[in-house]
Amino acid sequence: MIQKKVCMLGAFAVGKTSLVARFVRSLFSEKYHTTVGVKVDKKIVAVGEEQVNLLLWDLYGEDDFQKLRTSYLRGSSGYVLAVDGTRRETLEKAVILQSRAREALGDVPFVLVLNKADLVDKWELEDSAIEELVGQGWSTFKTSAKTGGGVEESFLTLARRMAGST
Amino acid sequence: MEAFLGKGNGGDEPPPAATDDPDPIGELRRLLLVPEHAQVAKIQERLDDPEIHAEDVSRVLPEAITIRAAKDRELTRVMLPTVEEAILSSVRRDPHVLVDALFPVMGPAIRKAIASALASMIESLNETLERSFSVQGLKWRWESWRTGKPLPEIILLRTLVYRVEQVFLIHRESGLLLQHVSATSAGVQDADMVSGMLTAIRDFVADSFGGSREQSLDSFKVGDLTVRIEQGPEAVLAAVVRGNAPPELASLLTETIEAIHLEQAEALTRFQGDASPFEKSRPRLEGCLKKQQLTRPERGPGARTRRARAFLRASLAVVLIGVGVWAFFAVRRGRRWHGYLDRLAVEPGIAVTDSGRRGGKYFVTGLRDPLAADPRALLAGSKLDSESVVSDWKPYQALSPEFIVARARRVLEPPPTVTLRAGNGVLLVTGTAPHSWIEEARARSRGFADVARYDDAALSDADLSGLEALRRSVEARPISFDVASSELRPRDRERLDTLSRDLSRLAALATGAGKTVQVTVIGRGDSSGTEEVNRAISRARAERVARALAAENARAVTFVVRGVGSSEPLRREVSAEDRELNRSVTLSVAIAGGTRADSR
Repeated sequence: MIQKKVCMLGAFAVGKTSLVARFVRSLFSEKYHTTVGVKVDKKIVAVGEEQVNLLLWDLYGEDDFQKLRTSYLRGSSGYVLAVDGTRRETLEKAVILQSRAREALGDVPFVLVLNKADLVDKWELEDSAIEELVGQGWSTFKTSAKTGGGVEESFLTLARRMAGST
Repeated sequence: MEAFLGKGNGGDEPPPAATDDPDPIGELRRLLLVPEHAQVAKIQERLDDPEIHAEDVSRVLPEAITIRAAKDRELTRVMLPTVEEAILSSVRRDPHVLVDALFPVMGPAIRKAIASALASMIESLNETLERSFSVQGLKWRWESWRTGKPLPEIILLRTLVYRVEQVFLIHRESGLLLQHVSATSAGVQDADMVSGMLTAIRDFVADSFGGSREQSLDSFKVGDLTVRIEQGPEAVLAAVVRGNAPPELASLLTETIEAIHLEQAEALTRFQGDASPFEKSRPRLEGCLKKQQLTRPERGPGARTRRARAFLRASLAVVLIGVGVWAFFAVRRGRRWHGYLDRLAVEPGIAVTDSGRRGGKYFVTGLRDPLAADPRALLAGSKLDSESVVSDWKPYQALSPEFIVARARRVLEPPPTVTLRAGNGVLLVTGTAPHSWIEEARARSRGFADVARYDDAALSDADLSGLEALRRSVEARPISFDVASSELRPRDRERLDTLSRDLSRLAALATGAGKTVQVTVIGRGDSSGTEEVNRAISRARAERVARALAAENARAVTFVVRGVGSSEPLRREVSAEDRELNRSVTLSVAIAGGTRADSR
């Protein structure tokens, strides 16, 4: 089985934790987020014949009080950028985070998940902004931690791309 | 080519037939080959010039080394002696160069080693203090007392009990799990997540407390679990240890991570998420699953407390029983000892001057008459262990009556018929004894220091009393005669023989006692007839008997013959029997010589 370290990045309260909570195997409590600033979870996906064990380093959402610890990024084969679709500023944050991650990791695969897709009424993101990113080669997924929509797909895509990159 | 060109230039061949051009082919050759010729000459020059050669090699050397190093390790092998030699000669020339170069590396390493040694020492000291006054501490003291080992050694032995429960081999960069072994058969799930989290925490500690990645968390403690982390350049070894791991474990972990780096250098460098090559390192990790087992199997803390209590109770019971048994024996021994002293106190001829207990043994000193009872026999009788009693007896003479008597007995050796009594300085001898003993005893008694007077007045002389009895017997046997006859009747011959033999015995006894015997033979007649006739016949009768007796006793006995007629009748004559009795001869025995014999 292939193992891959994957970082979950995103602004504060974009729903990363709830995003993974329903779809991953967890061992550690939420406390780690606020104490250590990271919580490691696991998700196994199948890429073709191969099982890929994704070790998800769910980094505490960046806010004014807590900056991203780049040391946690080290050794990642890919990352997930999470955005709260109902808060436009989180997308900007994601872009900043992506550039930081690229500095630290180089050009490794990543996916952008636009979370809270179930809250259509409050959706703030403009399609043009997304399309621009897609145009730059970003893989984007609309996900909903509530309904589970798009979650599996986004992880699978990332896994596939990482496996292909080896 | 050189040869070919040389030939061309040499011009040995005659030129072909052409007047305006004497050698057109040669010309053609020259035109065609001149540039190459110059090039070849240049190449030749380069090959011959070492300076240019070196410059060429220097241009390709790094690439060459890279290519070769990627292929195999031959380059390393070849370079090794040279590098070693170079380092050696560098040190010899000026050690400071290398010291300066290595200082940044060695400094932290040495600091780390010292810190680790100090930490383990302090840990062990804390442990010791903590356990000193606990149940555990008491148990160790008991064990120390029981085994004779010093307490620190026991504590050291007991506190070093540990078990390595899990070992993780973690990819340092990504925190991904390369290999994991567990001592518990159930195994641990999600070691991969643990591995990740462990790495995250190490990163967190390093980030938070300002250390570099080289100075990272290498051990932390959770309850009685310790996680020891040994870091290599590419991978990290984390051992989960229950209990107190000895310092050797740290060395083992270091050696293991080093060995893995050596054996799996390539796999580590190329790791992209596939941990399967590290299956090879599994035995090495399993080698770290060391344990030092307790003498009893591990159980829960509750059980431990219960066992500790049970142990305490058992110890207490053992101690109480021990004390009880000891007390019983001590009391019994004490009673026996006092019993022995009491026996000694009442024992005549033994005077105890001091007694007590000294150096775990009883002692008794005193005086003992040689004739007193043997204290050893008394000791044996008291059931005391003779080894536990030290005795010191000085000889003395007891002056109590029984000892005066006992000593007199030893000297006088009296016959059983003699009784000795002592009192007020007088030794009183009573009973019956042979004459010879009486004489001997009287002589020996003069040597008695503790007897003022020897009194044997009440002692009968056995020999003399025998003599007396015989005398009475002999005197009481008259020999009767027929009327007017002085002839012995046949029936009286036998009586006369017996009488003669008794007289012989009497004479023998008397002679033995130093005395002489005189026998008066008295003849009588009855009152019938005339006195004159009676006297004559009575004398004849006496002479007749005296003759018969003298036949055997003439030498020892003096015979005197008297004929008294009817003047001294044995009985007043009433009947014929009375007259017959008076017609008889009787003996009167006189024993002379020796005081007491005379007195009787």
